[in-house]
Amino acid sequence: MKRTLATLLLATLAVLCAAGSAAAAGSLLIKNGTILTVTRGTIARGDILVINGIIARIGKNIAAPPGVPVIDAAGRYVLPGLIDSHTHIALAGTNEGSEAITPEADVGAVINADDTALFTALTGGVTMAHTMHGSANPIGGPNVVLKMKWGRPSEELVVSEAWRTLKFALGENVKQSSRTIVAGGPPPRYPQTRMGTNAILRREFLRAQNYMAEWDRYEKLKGSKNPPKTLLPPRRDLRLEVLADLLKGKMVARCHDYQATEALEFMGLAKEFGFKIAALEHAWEAYKIADELAAAKIGISVFADSWAYKMEAAEGIAYDAGYCSKKGVLVSINSDSNERIRRLFNDAAKTMKYGGLSEDEALRLVTINPALQLGVDKIVGSLEVGKQADIAIFNEHPMSAYTRCDMTIIDGDVYFDRAGIIAAREEAAKKGGRP
Amino acid sequence: MPTRNRFALWSVLGALCVLPAAAASDVGPTYAIRNVRIVPVTGPVIEKGTLIIRDGLIESLGAVDKTAVPEDAEIIEAEGLTAYPGLISGHTNLLLEDPAAGMGQRGAAGTPTLPAVAAQRGAGTAGETAAGTPELMLLTQLRPAKSTMDGFLKAGFTTVLIAPNRGIIQGQSAVVNLNGLETGPMVLLTPAALHVNFTTNRGGYPSSLMGTIAYIRQSFLDADHYANAKAVYGKNLKGMKRPVHDPFLEALIPYVRDKKPVIFQCNNAEDIKRALKIIEEFKLSGILSQANEAWRAEAALKASRAKLLVTLDFRPPNGSFYTSQGEDLRKKAEAEIYPSNPAALAKAGIAFSLTTFGLTDAAAALRNVRTAIKLGLPEDVALRALTLVPAQTLGLDRQVGSLEPGKIANVILTKGALFDEKTQVERVFVDGVLWKF
Amino acid sequence: MNRRARMLLPVILLAAAAAATGFAAPQKTIVIANARIVPVVGPDLASGTIVIKDGKIADIGAGISVPPGADIVDGKGLTAFPGMIDGYSFLGLQEITGVNATVDNRETGRINPQVWAIEALRYDSMHIPIARSNGITAAIVAPTGGLISGRSVLIKLDGWTNREMVVKNPAALQIEFPDIRGGRGGGSGFGQRGGGAAAQDATRLIAELKDLFASARAYEKRKLYAQKNLSVALPDFDETSEFLLPVLKGEVAIMILVHADRDIQAAIKFVKDEGLKAVFYGAEQGWKVAADLKDSGIPVIISQLYAAPPVWDDGYDQLFMNAVRLARAGVKIAFSSGSATAAKDLPYHAAKAAAFGLDRREALKAVTISPAEIFGVAGEMGSLEKGKAANIVLADGDLLEQRTNVKAVFIDGKPCDMSNKYTELLDKFKKR
Repeated sequence: MKRTLATLLLATLAVLCAAGSAAAAGSLLIKNGTILTVTRGTIARGDILVINGIIARIGKNIAAPPGVPVIDAAGRYVLPGLIDSHTHIALAGTNEGSEAITPEADVGAVINADDTALFTALTGGVTMAHTMHGSANPIGGPNVVLKMKWGRPSEELVVSEAWRTLKFALGENVKQSSRTIVAGGPPPRYPQTRMGTNAILRREFLRAQNYMAEWDRYEKLKGSKNPPKTLLPPRRDLRLEVLADLLKGKMVARCHDYQATEALEFMGLAKEFGFKIAALEHAWEAYKIADELAAAKIGISVFADSWAYKMEAAEGIAYDAGYCSKKGVLVSINSDSNERIRRLFNDAAKTMKYGGLSEDEALRLVTINPALQLGVDKIVGSLEVGKQADIAIFNEHPMSAYTRCDMTIIDGDVYFDRAGIIAAREEAAKKGGRP
Repeated sequence: MPTRNRFALWSVLGALCVLPAAAASDVGPTYAIRNVRIVPVTGPVIEKGTLIIRDGLIESLGAVDKTAVPEDAEIIEAEGLTAYPGLISGHTNLLLEDPAAGMGQRGAAGTPTLPAVAAQRGAGTAGETAAGTPELMLLTQLRPAKSTMDGFLKAGFTTVLIAPNRGIIQGQSAVVNLNGLETGPMVLLTPAALHVNFTTNRGGYPSSLMGTIAYIRQSFLDADHYANAKAVYGKNLKGMKRPVHDPFLEALIPYVRDKKPVIFQCNNAEDIKRALKIIEEFKLSGILSQANEAWRAEAALKASRAKLLVTLDFRPPNGSFYTSQGEDLRKKAEAEIYPSNPAALAKAGIAFSLTTFGLTDAAAALRNVRTAIKLGLPEDVALRALTLVPAQTLGLDRQVGSLEPGKIANVILTKGALFDEKTQVERVFVDGVLWKF
Repeated sequence: MNRRARMLLPVILLAAAAAATGFAAPQKTIVIANARIVPVVGPDLASGTIVIKDGKIADIGAGISVPPGADIVDGKGLTAFPGMIDGYSFLGLQEITGVNATVDNRETGRINPQVWAIEALRYDSMHIPIARSNGITAAIVAPTGGLISGRSVLIKLDGWTNREMVVKNPAALQIEFPDIRGGRGGGSGFGQRGGGAAAQDATRLIAELKDLFASARAYEKRKLYAQKNLSVALPDFDETSEFLLPVLKGEVAIMILVHADRDIQAAIKFVKDEGLKAVFYGAEQGWKVAADLKDSGIPVIISQLYAAPPVWDDGYDQLFMNAVRLARAGVKIAFSSGSATAAKDLPYHAAKAAAFGLDRREALKAVTISPAEIFGVAGEMGSLEKGKAANIVLADGDLLEQRTNVKAVFIDGKPCDMSNKYTELLDKFKKR
């Protein structure tokens, strides 16, 4: 009995000591804010305790453990850090346009953590972004999901829990509609039509199947009783390897598409070759095929209303996101821009007018929905105990046009603090005499 | 003397006169540099010493009262001067046929590639250089020019690694002593290393950095596969088709299989990490050059065995973290942050060489070393980074990199300590011959 | 049909009738009753009535009598605002921005005072109904490009021909100085200069303009002299001079697109030297010379706020704070969409500035009465006042909020058709 008590006391002491020393990094207590959890309702005047980058408690009247800094959120709104499901930031190059099929080109190899767009994202309450190939290729290559940890080395930004995604693109950009053919110049790159685009995709999937078959045959021969003396493994082809991963289900497709027809045809290819489409990007005509999308459980990642810049965007109506959402399609609003990324919440709010979404539904489009599309919904996208502390604090409700982001927190560390910036400006002004 | 003997003597003398000049200059002169302060690098400083050079090598060195001067030595009084090993720059692109040429131009001695292979390697249309020419030997491109060599030597550099400068897999470099205008006698080591640069093949594949990285990896994979195929074929010779001869892949085999050194040009901290990943994947013997942001990749560098050739060109790279956040930080980057790269590495205990890579004027090298020293680079670390360390990195430390008997007589005599503001390089000996400016 | 729709039925029927008849038919008197009223000039009314007669606001207030025979629009739960006015747009000059055949806002060449936006204005552009149905009732439509882009026009967003839409033509002669911003929504981010103008500054361009003005004056002198003396030959027709003269005579205002602080100061001096009636557009570094701007009396059209902040040292919120600081310094500001495809977002730029400290009522003024004042039409529009044009918006909330639904729009007293490309396509596919 005595030993058990002693052990218990020692254990408690150990936990308290650990908690004390661990309270230094990635821990804080947000107090008295209106907490928009997204998945578990709203708490007026609530607190969130973060320990070591994880949300430890959400409730009222939480006391701050020793050493944990307190952030007063009275009168403000506390929400999950926003997630941008389609960007091209923080990369040293986004398109391998010299050939049509380039899945060997992996954006994960060219992360540029020095991109000021990371900071821009933070000023808009964005804590995570899916940064991708552009749309120069029918098959571009793997993308990567990053946390917006401005100032940290690139390896610390990568979200390893996210699904591996493969960028596809259809339509005008891929068939190089805006390029002028110069007489006597190099021949245009195949494909130059949507038919050719579908054909090249089919060809590459068939090639990938061939590649997988070659390796299967090799493995069989190698493992056989009398493998031939001249047995050689097939040449490792980085390009086909990535496609094979898609067909094996180790990756999901994210496909840039505008027209309804090209979306439907791509969905057909997915069915034919057995791969999964996580979402269609831009999908300006998704409202025309909302039923098909909902039935196939394919999400869309779209603008609110940035349209009419290309022919294929000429029927992109502002109701797209809201209407599809009501029809049961998993919709996220994205920015695809390192300027628009800081007003994702304004764009989400537009679905309240164009689509009749409620405040809560609109907020989902830039929080839990993109998380679901990226496979990170277990760790981010809402404020729940056990999730990573990616949190934004706004001065008004995020769906109000009068709101602004005041603070952005990632893994319990403050990465953007408007008050701090204003104070630093005032200091500098005193010294330098600038207004 | 009897007439017959005199005739024989004159015949012999006459014969000697018609012997080809090369024969007469094959044996180098003998020098005794006297009363000079000697900084051997691998031993203690000798305040007043004598250094004996004979036939291209250092014969001996020591305190002036303990070192005999040979009878045949030409005496060079060097009171007030200091003798250092000739400096070594582990990476330069100068002295090439066309150092400013970018992609898409074929050098006169450009290596032809077989059409089928060229297509495989992502070559552009006829007339464009392929993204990769590993089979290109630097020596075929070397164009020694007196003014450039004078520039190096005046700045104290007697030995340089000259590397090809075009494309992604650029070719194989050579290390040369700057002893004259003929290529043959210059050579110290060829090939020295394979050179890879994280650039792109504008107008062709790969046109993006991620494409480049895939291209590099696929090339090494293919070289490995090719070596396998050749080995298996070699064992059998019957019952399988022979692998198609590919000069591109042939050139890569020593680096992928036999672990000869591969030098990656790293334009920023991320390039360092990218290079280290590739080095790890293919278990290469890796060297990182330029490395102007090495201090930002400290952890990765400490965890690897890759060696560093750090440039003395302190210009911030494009899109640097420190030049895109306002004027104050940008000025600090140029004046302090980047020039502190060597000091930061020294503080972190990471070994490195210093090179003239990127500098078109070698005199800037010593200026920049002084800046680095002002910002905290210890002088002895700086000296070793310009002498012994590059020699070791390139596997030449038994021949150059310090003043020791038996080593090649690359010696510089300076008025003033090497890293002083007003220092002049007064005399330079390369391969034991006094250079005439 | 629900109660709300029933109450708005008169509006819908009126709109249909107006649409059907084409030309402005004599209208019945319309009364908006029981609405909250935000006149913008003068105090708000918690509940009031607006009487629309002959295209104008005949009466407005609480407890005023409803004339017999009027069509009643029940504004219960709704707020009446003045229609918004866009200080700078490309409405009617762009359909699909990436398809050159549908873009008419940028003529080739640098000096084009003879180019007039009204003459290319596509009044049935799909973007006009979209903007209108979000409460925008008037807009400046401007040509762009070069040094002198041409003449802009102030239109109302309703009319069966381009000429019918004119409120004021010309609105201004457009002049463009070097830009410092990156692209809208496409974004380069900090430290990017737009349009290849980085090397220039306004001083050279001002010198060039002064030369052109001098030439124009000289031209006019010679023309007048020759007109009086038949023996003297008329000068050769000089198009540029002809169309610059009205500006020099003060008949036509100029709008200078100017951005960097030094350029703004140079522009102020230029305007003063030449005695011109001027408006500035952009002035993104205006906050640095706010006192000069205030003293000059030159108003500023704030450029669309969907732009990346150009200069790191000026702060991530520099474009928003610019509007705030200019307003606080007493500079008259108005907002603009800078677009055709996103013209409907005019109110959200105003709200964005309010998010960063601009008084919300000032923000609303900056999309209503202020642009009206700036373009000299404050006697006709910009606020809900007796005698002004009945440009009225009925909305179910704050007009500057994205979530707000605009229920009805009146222009010159006529109820507008609220359908647009968005609603047409939605309705079509709802029927699947």
